[in-house]
Amino acid sequence: MVNDKESRKIVDIIQDFARKSSLFVLAYGTGCGAIEIPPTMTSRYDAERFGIRGAATPRQADVLLITGYLATKSLKRVIRAYEQMQNPKYIIGFGSCTINGGMYWDSYNTINRLDMYMPVDVYINGCMPRPEAVIAGFAKLQKLIQAGKADGWERYQNNLEFYRKNQKKIIHNWVMPDYNW
Amino acid sequence: MEQELLDLLVEHFQDRIAGSVKSDKRVEIFTSTSAIEDVLMYAKNVLGYIHLVHFSCVDWIEENEFELMYAIFSPKSKITIMSKVRVDRENPVAPNIDYIWRHANTFEREIREMFGIEFTGLIAEKEMILEDWIEMPPMRRDFDTAEYAKKTFFDRPGREDAQDVRETIIKRTGEELPEFSKKYSR
Repeated sequence: MVNDKESRKIVDIIQDFARKSSLFVLAYGTGCGAIEIPPTMTSRYDAERFGIRGAATPRQADVLLITGYLATKSLKRVIRAYEQMQNPKYIIGFGSCTINGGMYWDSYNTINRLDMYMPVDVYINGCMPRPEAVIAGFAKLQKLIQAGKADGWERYQNNLEFYRKNQKKIIHNWVMPDYNW
Repeated sequence: MEQELLDLLVEHFQDRIAGSVKSDKRVEIFTSTSAIEDVLMYAKNVLGYIHLVHFSCVDWIEENEFELMYAIFSPKSKITIMSKVRVDRENPVAPNIDYIWRHANTFEREIREMFGIEFTGLIAEKEMILEDWIEMPPMRRDFDTAEYAKKTFFDRPGREDAQDVRETIIKRTGEELPEFSKKYSR
């Protein structure tokens, strides 16, 4: 095994295999897309066979689903929840609203591009994405994790200034703690 | 029955109100900000219109006025009275009616936030739905949401070869594009 910076150690591969096989999803829904989560989790599509299950609190969760439109008011809560999650953590942008605003592109209180405020690992297109699409998105995330490419949380730490600048552009009354990773 | 109610109201308030019977079980009355409290009190306590169904606002920007609409309902006669009041758009002040119906407080907070109408003596938190809002109230018709979204949020450029559905329809049928929809064309 070549021991340069680019190559991954065997322990990383084992770690990533374990991570991808138990994705705990924070039980938090921002928009209408949250209604697709119950059928994904229950008996018909049964996402738990891929190791995907719900987690009650941000500190127990690995994956944050942004399900549908994200109001500027809930962006504040989502940022708070995301920053409380333990590394490694992943974000899935769910539905066309998180990609370009979707049908709310000209609304005064929903953001248009999620990746300007938070690091997104996988986008799932659709309005709404069906449970099959949701599971396909999770499978894609698992592939990325196994390949060591799901590095959203690293991007967030390294480009914190960029994300903070965009977040503070719409959240005028900033009451959240500032981190120094 | 609707006409009888209207006659009763007009007889009691004389020239302070005007109105008409809109349809079955619907009576529309126009009144002023100084008379609306009296009208609602009279309708509630004497005529038995005990339920405030809805309380909302319409922006008549062409006439430089806001219209407040109080819909009240009587379970006995099953008639809904739509009482309408115009307030000036430059200095929008309306009387507070939350001592008549407590739940009018919520409607008033929403109208204050979304249209910027002040209710005299309203005691409530300033923020209800919006948070950290510094622009003009967003439900006013001169507030351009598309412009605001462009300025505040980030636009993702679309595909180069994207087609406008409306233009295809125009080419096919020769239909005219309405004036208001032209700003949304590609």
